[in-house]
Amino acid sequence: MSDARVITHDVVIVGAGLAGSWAAMVAAREGVTNIGVLSKVHPLRSHSGAAQGGIAAALGNVRPVAGTGEDGALEQVPAGAEPPDSIDLHFFDTVKGSDWLGDQDKIKVLVTDAIEVIYEYEHMGCVFSRTDDGRINQRRFGGHSAPRANFAADWTGHVLLHTIHEQCLKHGVKFYSEWQLLELLLEDGVARGVVAMDIVSGEIVTFHAKAVLFATGGYGRAWKITSNATANTGDGVAIAYRAGAPLMDMEFVQFHPTGIYKHGILMSEACRGEGGYLLNAAGERFMEKYAPSKMELAPRDLVSRSEQTEINEGRGVGDDKQGIYLDLRHLGKEKIMTRLPQVREIAMNFLGVDIVYELAKIQPTAHYSMGGIPTDVDGQVIADANETPIVGFYAAGECACVSVHGANRLGTNSLLEASVFGRRAGYAIARFIKGGAKLAPLPARAAAAAQRARLARLMSRHENGRNVPLKQLSETLKKTMTDHVGIFRSQESLETALATIHRLQGDFQHVRVMDTSRRYNTDVLAAVEVDHMLTFSELVALGALARRESRGAHARTDYPTRDDNAWLKHTLVRQSSDGTPELSYKDVTIDWEKCPPQARKY
Amino acid sequence: MTNITVRIKRFNPDTDDKPRWQDYTVALDTEKTVLDALEEIKSEQDGSLTFRRSCRHAICGSCAMMVNRKNGLVCTKPLKEAVEEVGFFGAKNTVTIEPLPYLPVIKDLVVDQSVFWQQYEAVRPWVIPVENIPTKEFRMSQAEVDAMNRAETCIMCGACYSSCPVIAGNKSYIGPHALLKLFLRVMDPRDTEIEARLDQIANDNGAFRCHKVSNCIGACPKGLNPAQAISALGNMALRANKLSQARAERLKTLIAQVEASASE
Repeated sequence: MSDARVITHDVVIVGAGLAGSWAAMVAAREGVTNIGVLSKVHPLRSHSGAAQGGIAAALGNVRPVAGTGEDGALEQVPAGAEPPDSIDLHFFDTVKGSDWLGDQDKIKVLVTDAIEVIYEYEHMGCVFSRTDDGRINQRRFGGHSAPRANFAADWTGHVLLHTIHEQCLKHGVKFYSEWQLLELLLEDGVARGVVAMDIVSGEIVTFHAKAVLFATGGYGRAWKITSNATANTGDGVAIAYRAGAPLMDMEFVQFHPTGIYKHGILMSEACRGEGGYLLNAAGERFMEKYAPSKMELAPRDLVSRSEQTEINEGRGVGDDKQGIYLDLRHLGKEKIMTRLPQVREIAMNFLGVDIVYELAKIQPTAHYSMGGIPTDVDGQVIADANETPIVGFYAAGECACVSVHGANRLGTNSLLEASVFGRRAGYAIARFIKGGAKLAPLPARAAAAAQRARLARLMSRHENGRNVPLKQLSETLKKTMTDHVGIFRSQESLETALATIHRLQGDFQHVRVMDTSRRYNTDVLAAVEVDHMLTFSELVALGALARRESRGAHARTDYPTRDDNAWLKHTLVRQSSDGTPELSYKDVTIDWEKCPPQARKY
Repeated sequence: MTNITVRIKRFNPDTDDKPRWQDYTVALDTEKTVLDALEEIKSEQDGSLTFRRSCRHAICGSCAMMVNRKNGLVCTKPLKEAVEEVGFFGAKNTVTIEPLPYLPVIKDLVVDQSVFWQQYEAVRPWVIPVENIPTKEFRMSQAEVDAMNRAETCIMCGACYSSCPVIAGNKSYIGPHALLKLFLRVMDPRDTEIEARLDQIANDNGAFRCHKVSNCIGACPKGLNPAQAISALGNMALRANKLSQARAERLKTLIAQVEASASE
């Protein structure tokens, strides 16, 4: 195997979750025939499928029963009644949720396209839960002022993923299942393809393409407690950065309030959407102190901070007092069995409790990456604050930063974002290809051989005999990110984190993996993933250190308030010529007349 | 803390003539899953041990394998529970782990599921709707969703497929996973091809091939019942024509409801 093989496609898509699959399906449907989709796991194993609670869109199928309050019953909207929800409301909730860091022109696109995207899923066969009159059922979610989480019990992501994958098959999309992305070939502002490895055979192949789309997911695996799948190591984000693309708002990482205690596995926000309570060690519904109006249904950043405050002040539960109770008992067996069956199973498996009768122990868990590769509303990656396009390079889904989530994403807006912008990227790529895009020549350097050398170095004995165990290194990184770049941050904690990350980057040169075989070598791939995590973790800490304010999910104990004068702007980071990261900033798009920044209270 | 033995069937076709057993020792901790034990062995003792995993909570379907001769997902299986089961070798404090059977081994616990996926694709897993798509959603009832018996929650892990004695002897059999998917589509009131779908499986490699051994039920980590779905498909295939007419009528009301609501 010489690693010299070149495979040519019009379009190469990396990642087969909702964003990548939507883009592939739409481009194929629009007549682009030569599409290759690479995925490090089988497409149906993608992490979009783990999303539970719902996908937002202001369909207005359901409304609160009059006079029952914030957590009262819901009913289907009778024919002819006033619509209880609107795209304007969804827009405002998302802007407020983002702590005004989301670009308002882009949020407008998100909430508007939402409606047709949900109907399209339904027409493609997605099995949603239904109202009595047969419409798509909806529930409440944090930060949304109307019930607009369209759901399928608590396996919404799963049914969406299967539906869109089926459509890709229907439209003849070619998948490369279990291929690991290694490098983006980007030269003179033009994307030319990628280098990737067939995990099964170990062959490294160059993919030559007119357009490349990254839909590689988020970067939550760099934290110790995380809801993310083991695959979510931010490969695309790190690789785009190394190829010279900028990254945006990397310091904004969402901690979900209800991860399973000690495991981090998600217990859906639908638990609270359906009426669940959070209790501290004293049995108090402590959210009344922090969000008296929305209570448990405040946005995730606020709820996670409230939990962490309770924990820090000694009111946590569990043997290390790092937990909080989630109480669902009052919902009753029937509601839990029909609305939250998967959550019940998860609690049984990992906590050994039945949520119908018992309290579940939870804790905040690293969940969602607001930051990523900056794009316009059509997935086109931009190179700078002037929105100069990187020709032929697209990104969508969690690895991208459009930015519609700003400093904090609302629950159910991520399945929506992946779908809306994956779909739009599909149309944009089809226009690009059908408009006569040409194959730009591959770079002259031997990229595949360089990647082979990178893997060979990881497998060979180091001459000085200093071998650093990979596990020790990755655990130190995860602990550092949790302790120092977590829910609360300060100059001191971030400087500590940066020093540790720099040391670990040095140590990484001494990592030697144990498996030296070619075939299905997940040992060497784990090292590659840690390499990626070390790259983006530095950028998260750096952006966080520079941002001297608290906004959304970025909470500085030394700068506890939002500072619109100095910090109402996006962070851009790119690799300078000497290899070090360089920060710059970009304006946020705001409609100053209709939706100027306000204090964010819930 | 007690130490236990994890006995793993290993095979790398590039270097091994035949599969071999290898024993590892891990500490038994009540919070550990079988997957945690595998991760621990890989990261601390033997990096060459190879297995698939991703989500860690039984939704991605990556980590199906055979533990103590029984198929399932290792991410949600407590190690303690596995130890307490009687192992294949009858050895105390020993958990045996093997790859899913009836499939070629790529390496250790990773199997080649190409045939499995081909069969899934062969049933055309997508819905084939009417041509005049409404502007809003089809009005499907919750009762119609419930009648699918949660088939839409199948994670395609392959535990059922690799427990099926028919598959063991005959790879032309379409398999419990693909038949369950087909059941989902046949039950979906939005699908227009009920007759063609039932026709596709009314043969000796389809629903009629099932021997009703029902291993698939015990193997399914999501509590689904492929055997029942296959049996239902067989029964439906015998009256496909009638069902097709009923579907055509239902499709009219599905759309009529939507149109009525649009003009409200």
